[in-house]
Amino acid sequence: MEEYTYRKASTEDIPFIADVIIAAEKGASSTLGFSTLFNLSEEKVKEFIISMLEEEIDGCEFSLSSFNLVIFQGMPVVGVSSWIEAHDNPPSRILKSNLLSYTFPPENMDYFRTKAHLMQGMSVERDPETLQFEYGFTSKEYRGKKILFSLMEQLLSETKRDFPEVKKAQVQCFSNNQPSINLLTNLGFEITKSVRTDNPEVLGVLPFNEKLLLEKHL
Amino acid sequence: MEKSLIIKKIGEILSKTLKHNNFEISDSLSADDVEGWDSLTHMLIITEVEKEFNIKFKLKELNKLQNVGSLIELVQMKIQ
Repeated sequence: MEEYTYRKASTEDIPFIADVIIAAEKGASSTLGFSTLFNLSEEKVKEFIISMLEEEIDGCEFSLSSFNLVIFQGMPVVGVSSWIEAHDNPPSRILKSNLLSYTFPPENMDYFRTKAHLMQGMSVERDPETLQFEYGFTSKEYRGKKILFSLMEQLLSETKRDFPEVKKAQVQCFSNNQPSINLLTNLGFEITKSVRTDNPEVLGVLPFNEKLLLEKHL
Repeated sequence: MEKSLIIKKIGEILSKTLKHNNFEISDSLSADDVEGWDSLTHMLIITEVEKEFNIKFKLKELNKLQNVGSLIELVQMKIQ
């Protein structure tokens, strides 16, 4: 029986990774923040995500080099982004912001300016020199097989081995994303922080109004 | 454009975007030093600076920025 194999992403995987990012951004909702906050269709968002990945910047959630894939019968079926925060790079929040402001057209940035107040209080800082996970996703027909769990377990173990100075892993997710929370707690992550807004408009632009930080010591 | 005017305009953009004046413009000032300068406000600051000075930053230029001093230098270079 053919096995699942794991490898780092390459440029041929960019379209799959763009789908991973979009699906993971929606989480347990049908709301795509990049669409609602920037007034873009999902197709246009995918186009811009592809452009950002093609820049091949290292050290953030839009870095091709940060993506790890599980392959089955020659096709990627699971993906997750992981990187060590601000290790040899500027903070990921700056790299991501630079990519977004470079890629998104001025009129869409102007639209975002009118919605930016909704994001207040909803950001969680990433600690430097911690292992970050972002955009974990399993294709529908491969769910329930612990493939993403095994991939993340492997990445945690490799980081511990190769970067002994990294003491902690962090993940952020919206609190309505129970499948993600279950997976992370099974991996040994604990909820250490939550941020929330009670502005009712937020549920029209974000997947949920509460975000969690989960951490695990390595 | 005089450097002092560039500094003044960047200061105004920071105040307007961050909605406070709890900082002092200096070459060494960076996002880590200023309350509220997160990924979202960083995006808004960059696009406002581009609009104000009618310039477009390259991605590698943005990623090399270390602090407000390097931003001022880059703006000066691009408007010359």
